[in-house]
Amino acid sequence: MNKRGSYYRYLNRFGWLCVAPAMVFYSLFMLYPILSSLYYVTRKWKGMSNTFVGLGNFARMAQDKIFQLALGHNFLFMFTQIPLMIFLALILAVILNQGIKRLRGSFRVIFFLPCVTSLVAYSVLFRILLQSNGLLNNIMMNAHLIASPIGWLNDPFWAQTTIILALTWRWTGYNMVFFLVGLQSIDSEIYEAAEVDGASKVRQFFRITLPLLLPVILFSAVTSTSGTMQLFDEPNILTNQGGPGNGTMTAALYIYRQAFVLNSDFGYATAMSYIVVLISGVFAFVQMKLLGGRDK
Amino acid sequence: MKKGLVFALALILFAALVPGLSAADAKKVTVWCWDPNFNGYSMKQAAAVYNKAHPDVTIEIVDIPENIEGKITAGLQAGGSGLPDIALFQDFRIEQFLQDYPQGFVDLKAAGVDYSKFAAYKVGPMTVGKSIYGIPFDTGSTGLWLRADMIKAAGLNPDSYMGKNLKWSDIVKLGLAVKAKTGKALIAYDTTNYDFIRIMVQSTGTQFFNKDGSLNLRTPALKAAIAQVKDLNDKGILYLTEGWNNWISAFNNGDSAGLLQALWIIGTLKSKPENAGKWMVIPTPLLEGVAGAQNASNNGGSSWYVFASSPNKALALDFLKSTWASSTPAALAFYNDILKQCGAMGTYLPSRTGTNYTAPDEYFYKSQAVFKDFSAWMEKVPVLMYTANYQTMNTAVKNAVLPLLQGKTKSIDDVLTAAETEYKQTSGQ
Amino acid sequence: MSVVRKWSPARLLVWFVLVVGGFISLFPFFWMLIGTTLNPNDVVRGIIVPGSEIASNWVKATKNYNLLLFFVNSLKIALLTVLLGVLINALAAFGFEKYKSKGREKIFGILLLTLIIPQIAIVIPMFRLFSFLHLLNTHAAIILPSVMSVFIIFFMRQNFKMFPTEIMEAARVDGTSEFGILVRIVSPSMKATFASAAIYMFIGQWNSYLWPLMTILTDAKKTLPIAMSSMMSMYTIEYGALMIIVCMSILPVLILFLTMQKQFVAGLLGSVK
Repeated sequence: MNKRGSYYRYLNRFGWLCVAPAMVFYSLFMLYPILSSLYYVTRKWKGMSNTFVGLGNFARMAQDKIFQLALGHNFLFMFTQIPLMIFLALILAVILNQGIKRLRGSFRVIFFLPCVTSLVAYSVLFRILLQSNGLLNNIMMNAHLIASPIGWLNDPFWAQTTIILALTWRWTGYNMVFFLVGLQSIDSEIYEAAEVDGASKVRQFFRITLPLLLPVILFSAVTSTSGTMQLFDEPNILTNQGGPGNGTMTAALYIYRQAFVLNSDFGYATAMSYIVVLISGVFAFVQMKLLGGRDK
Repeated sequence: MKKGLVFALALILFAALVPGLSAADAKKVTVWCWDPNFNGYSMKQAAAVYNKAHPDVTIEIVDIPENIEGKITAGLQAGGSGLPDIALFQDFRIEQFLQDYPQGFVDLKAAGVDYSKFAAYKVGPMTVGKSIYGIPFDTGSTGLWLRADMIKAAGLNPDSYMGKNLKWSDIVKLGLAVKAKTGKALIAYDTTNYDFIRIMVQSTGTQFFNKDGSLNLRTPALKAAIAQVKDLNDKGILYLTEGWNNWISAFNNGDSAGLLQALWIIGTLKSKPENAGKWMVIPTPLLEGVAGAQNASNNGGSSWYVFASSPNKALALDFLKSTWASSTPAALAFYNDILKQCGAMGTYLPSRTGTNYTAPDEYFYKSQAVFKDFSAWMEKVPVLMYTANYQTMNTAVKNAVLPLLQGKTKSIDDVLTAAETEYKQTSGQ
Repeated sequence: MSVVRKWSPARLLVWFVLVVGGFISLFPFFWMLIGTTLNPNDVVRGIIVPGSEIASNWVKATKNYNLLLFFVNSLKIALLTVLLGVLINALAAFGFEKYKSKGREKIFGILLLTLIIPQIAIVIPMFRLFSFLHLLNTHAAIILPSVMSVFIIFFMRQNFKMFPTEIMEAARVDGTSEFGILVRIVSPSMKATFASAAIYMFIGQWNSYLWPLMTILTDAKKTLPIAMSSMMSMYTIEYGALMIIVCMSILPVLILFLTMQKQFVAGLLGSVK
């Protein structure tokens, strides 16, 4: 578009025309909420009335151990589940890419299948599976792995484990597919050259595969982190509203409860969501710096 | 093609965006409530009474199983859009709503309802100044429900427990015996629910809040209640469940031999006809060592409210006045029927003359006249004060008790401190 | 890569991992299917032998729980979102990519920044916006905010990049209008991209939970995810019927996946490269 004059202007106008409808939607449903949240964040709500409290909501957050606990759970899930899942996804991707030839396509489908379930659907399924008198406990008791039923949903530790296991089940295949695509784009000549040089398979993996996969791993990490910060469906349905006793409460769930279940204090809820955005941003930034200068 | 596309787009957009035409159906009243076996059923019977005289009116009863208060909050925040005409509120939640949304509800006293005909303790929570907002519905008189057949199986005679004013220590003995012989835990206990402790505390008339609305958890009653629950659990007498519906299936399917609950659970019990003849109910056990303790308590109870935003206010009011607040034979008959069918003991004083109030009920063991018993027990319960923060307190205490039952918290003092802390943080005061 | 000995320990290990992993992946689906044929109690107890209750479960699901209505609601919302979404996002992506200007690039930069904002942060102001517009409890409330997607625009931009601008220039010389170029020249070769984007948007909307949870108040408007979550809160849970509903909620996405794997995966991958 190096033309000048009226033709340039004509093209430019067309460009704006194309972008306009999307921008209308964006302004209404993204910009406006973001801007109006600035109004809510400084007010304390009670029913239909609200009062100005300045930074009061943030002060309250500093004292709110439940919110801090919820954030703690978000971090817990992030630092345990995401590495576990990426590790598993990597192994599976490598196996499918290099380990076997037969049934590769079928296995790809099999591992990816959990992703077609909605978060609600699989939360429901897992919740029924993991009841004290449910299938998993029955199987484990019959196999004499455990003596008495495990309180998967009854005990905070097991409930947290349940969430981690459920998330891993749901998302490993998804990330595996990412890694597969990444692996397939690595030129096999590089490996051949390394073979000639006498590098073992393991060394090839660490010296060639991993570094070349770093952008994909970064993408996985960033999207998974962002998803984990927003965790809502699973703690709401699988462990029944962040139970037992706040054992799996997450930030998003707590925000929702403050706004719609407990007090309808929209101001406080909005303030908390600001903090969540801030933390998400910091994580994304740190990850990008650590794992490579990916341009996004 | 371009024009066709744009036109199709516009058509689809139009179809999607025009909200369903909701010109208020002139002869329709919508009611929101939960528990189709109890509340839903009762409202249906009332509707049937009204429809005899007004066949052209449609009364639609919508079952809202999940977070009805949240949906109502959403609707009230929206200035009433999406709300029904009538909704059911638990007595311990309504104060918060009346405080937060003073313009949201219709003043029924001003609309001509005669409150002298309703039990005084129900009218308390729905009163704000000179206005009264609800139609009282059911009482939450409580008892300890037991499976007579399982007690027999443990080698004991159920009749020796019938109608007895027992202490919790007696129940412990019973529980141990049943456990030893049948392996079943005596009482189903829902760890996600506050009812059990609440029933115990409220049997002594103790409140959770001071007169000025501030929290008071350090009462002898609450401490004793928590200690008692721990004791029951340590001795294996409680069947712990992790959810309301798991709790229901625990006693309905015979995984446990009983439950501590108000009479409104009858609808749920009766939904299992195969358990006919097996259930009996005895007075709420006494919480020993606490002043004011009685063998009676109250748990719950709800009332009907009309939203100010309702398009069919007048019709809704007429419906309520002609059924729930009416002494016509048809109305009294319906009160009599819902009592027997689902244990809905209304608090409309003239309805107490109904035959079912004293008659034996063949569903129960030896046709126990359960309602006569609940009626008598109800007389003993003092008025309770709820405040707008009851739900928050509720959540805080039950969250704090769970770790005690799992052996994580060691002392009752720690439990109370944890509850106070959580209450302070979630309520912001 | 060739393996000299057929059953070396490494190979055994590999197959072991695959089989165990595959089993774990598939088991919940298998159990769900069995569950549709059992009565509620058996579902919980974990019987894994098919029963004969599928007909009565289906009746319960459709009569008592209005499965078909919820299915249609979900379908309607998802399809409308896709229709509007693909159109508007494709148009925007085309504008951003093929008609580059400093101003638009700046705007795009801002759009990318807001990608990081989680849904929970905007739902509250959005809720109040829709309640002010009296659009609560409508399907419009669910469709409208999902139409424009920065992610989709980004994805489409990457694909538009690959379309040779020379062809567009040639068409201009021929006298075709810009709009004509978009519709008659560029779009036909972008079908795969549009399909991927459509699939991605469909799935996102089909499975959407938090926002519908907040805005839907009555049964008539419910979508499948809300219905499933409601059922878990009922006094007595009809597990058999619930299994059928879960099945139905997975079905469309499953079909899309199996028949359009390539586009499906492409849609999800966006432009990883």
